[in-house]
Amino acid sequence: MTPILDIAGYGLDYATPAGFTRALDQVTLSVARGEVLGLVGESGSGKTSLAWAIMRHLPESAREAGRISLVDKDLTSASRAEIDAFRGRRIGMVFQDPSTSLNPTLPLGEQLAEVLEHHRGLTRRQAWAEGEAMLARVGLKRPAQMMRRYPHEASGGEKQRVVIATAFACQPECIIFDEPTTALDVITARQILDLFGELQAETGVASLYISHDLALVSRVANRVAVIHRGRIVEQGRVQDVFATPQDAYTRNLLAAVPRPDHRLVDVGPGTGTKTLVEVDKVSVRYGRKPFLSKLLGRENTQFTGNREVSLCVREGEILGIVGESGSGKSTLAKALTGLNPFEGEIRFAGRPIGGLKDMDRTYRRDVQIIFQHPDSSLNPRQRIREILSRPLALYGTPEQREDKNAIGALLEQVRLPAAYADRYPHQLSGGEKQRVAIARAFASRPKLVICDEITSALDVSVQASVIELLVDLQKRFGTAYLFITHDLNLVRQIAHRIAVMYRGDLVDLVDVADLSGGAIHAYTRSLIDAVPAPAAIRA
Amino acid sequence: MIELLHRVLRSPQGALGLVLVGLILLVVIVGPWIAPYDPESLAPLQRYKPPSAQFWLGTDQYGRDILSRLLHGARATVVLAVFATALGTLAGALIGTISAFRGGRSDEAIMRTVDAVMAIPSLLLALLIVNLLGKSSLNALLAIAIAFTPGMARVTRSVALAVRKQDYVNAAIARGESAGFIVWREMLPNVVAPIIVEMTIRVAFAVMLFATLSFLGLGAQPPASEWGLMVAEARRFMHLSPWMILWPSLAVAFVAIGFNLLGDGLRDALNPRT
Repeated sequence: MTPILDIAGYGLDYATPAGFTRALDQVTLSVARGEVLGLVGESGSGKTSLAWAIMRHLPESAREAGRISLVDKDLTSASRAEIDAFRGRRIGMVFQDPSTSLNPTLPLGEQLAEVLEHHRGLTRRQAWAEGEAMLARVGLKRPAQMMRRYPHEASGGEKQRVVIATAFACQPECIIFDEPTTALDVITARQILDLFGELQAETGVASLYISHDLALVSRVANRVAVIHRGRIVEQGRVQDVFATPQDAYTRNLLAAVPRPDHRLVDVGPGTGTKTLVEVDKVSVRYGRKPFLSKLLGRENTQFTGNREVSLCVREGEILGIVGESGSGKSTLAKALTGLNPFEGEIRFAGRPIGGLKDMDRTYRRDVQIIFQHPDSSLNPRQRIREILSRPLALYGTPEQREDKNAIGALLEQVRLPAAYADRYPHQLSGGEKQRVAIARAFASRPKLVICDEITSALDVSVQASVIELLVDLQKRFGTAYLFITHDLNLVRQIAHRIAVMYRGDLVDLVDVADLSGGAIHAYTRSLIDAVPAPAAIRA
Repeated sequence: MIELLHRVLRSPQGALGLVLVGLILLVVIVGPWIAPYDPESLAPLQRYKPPSAQFWLGTDQYGRDILSRLLHGARATVVLAVFATALGTLAGALIGTISAFRGGRSDEAIMRTVDAVMAIPSLLLALLIVNLLGKSSLNALLAIAIAFTPGMARVTRSVALAVRKQDYVNAAIARGESAGFIVWREMLPNVVAPIIVEMTIRVAFAVMLFATLSFLGLGAQPPASEWGLMVAEARRFMHLSPWMILWPSLAVAFVAIGFNLLGDGLRDALNPRT
């Protein structure tokens, strides 16, 4: 089989003031007709650089070596006009986030029809009709209506379908998919993947599927290439690479993928254990109550973040909360930490908390929160020392405040060198920053730590080590966790009980053992079904 | 800091602005010592002289050396302008950050008040304040600071609103930090970059505003060698010696251009995307 896309010995350097930095090194891979090649790598591995190199959209500072060819044409030596002719026509691209890859000021149909007019020379009327047919083909229910809508009037899944329709519109020979489901919710992502499978089989296009998610790639791809620091470390059929990985990096990557059957914590505290925090019918509404609308008898337009959520966390228990984006998981976390006003009641260690006023020093000390993005949760203008000294100054013992080594001890507790105290956050890697955030949360010896998606911004291998650290700290201090995540596989590894949220409601609260086989809500069932089973990796 | 300087020097406006501002600061510091004559010594026989080897920039209606007056006046003009801007910036930055931090109704109340003050042109506002407080350099300084505050508050608030949404501010609130600490230590350091840029540009405005006030007789009082006052006094003798009005006007323009260019350069240098 002759390859459609063929890359041989390709290298890419970026010129920086400090000299050249290598982005890609001796990359050799090929995709044949009807084949899906999965390109797997962590952030910074060069996978997106490769996608842009194929699309011939590189910054001025790029220096190249090697060859990228499409069928018989060498793209690295193509002229400007030739590039314009093949982009979109012979190579299509689907981006990660459909909300940023579509122009918000143009109707969806306009953006789709433009491609058809430009590349296939259709008249406007023909292009519009063809566009409607394309949208029907990607499974949108009302294509004619969707053509006239603006991006903000469509959901994430619908927008990604439009982007996919645009990519397939000119029947290209090759399509690059750059993490097309990462920005979507699990159930939507599953539907997009099914669509991808159908279209792929129907058109026989050569696909380069870029992802950081090993479990996902194992399902969609025929062959897989693992990229690490700009080098392809391993390449082969999916079954072979995942069953018998040759390279040490691939083995580490595979070992880090969370598996629900691999439990990291011991059995949870029994039902006899004291309840630490009780959330009783807590509702959160966003938006101000406009005082005029009350007078005028207008309807209340406030948005509901949580609707009468009730749950409890026992001492030393890990309670997982899962749900898609917008389900109210983080809203609940913010209500518990006093960042959102709420209605209802929270009882902490038996003490009723009716609102922000009741959150006194003891409550603030005992309940700590860790946020999703360490970049935004650590003040970029403060050194690590200052960041960690605040909780000590507020809640530490007098000895701790006097102790010069207290900061170092906090850092060592999260397995960071004490010398990091004098660094700024931007001098640390993502995983290290998240460890600092963990150290800050644990500095006041809290009883409950709320982890709000703390690993979703991290690479899978870093995630594994952060989770291991959390489990370790839990064993040492007996802290209870409220572990919020969208990753069901991950939470099944560490949680004792799991709460499932959907559009602001708590729909399910089950023991983790009951998830497989027990009586569970229909939505929970569909969530479990939508997650790519990591078991496939081993097969 | 060194790196920032390097980045400023990379853009042509930045480099030129830095050189001009450097020259101005040099004159401010050593001006009175290098001035060839006493700025207030009268010489009735040497009146209205054009530039010559003896008087490089000529003399004024009392025979005073214009170069010496300019060199002495730099301190009054530039230093007062910088102080007025700094004062206005600090007040505006605090108001803007507090307003963004509090949000909701208090934000609304503070910002509408600021809007109301902004509706009055800054020169008119400064005139009003000086008239209320009385004529003097110090009052002119205060007037300019107050006139600058609402604008700075607006600029700061727009930046601070983005900072307010960052999780480190949320983390500080959840930790139970005081409002003062959050505004001063968590938020202000992160809004400083755009404020500094805005401030350098406003120094130029302050010089012109200050000169205008002196020109109208509400700022520095004779026989001070403040540049705006020099222009105002020279206006009457323009037909006798155009040099008298030209030099101080050029000096004001020089400062305005210098600080504006530096502001442009800083804006590019502090923006990591350029």
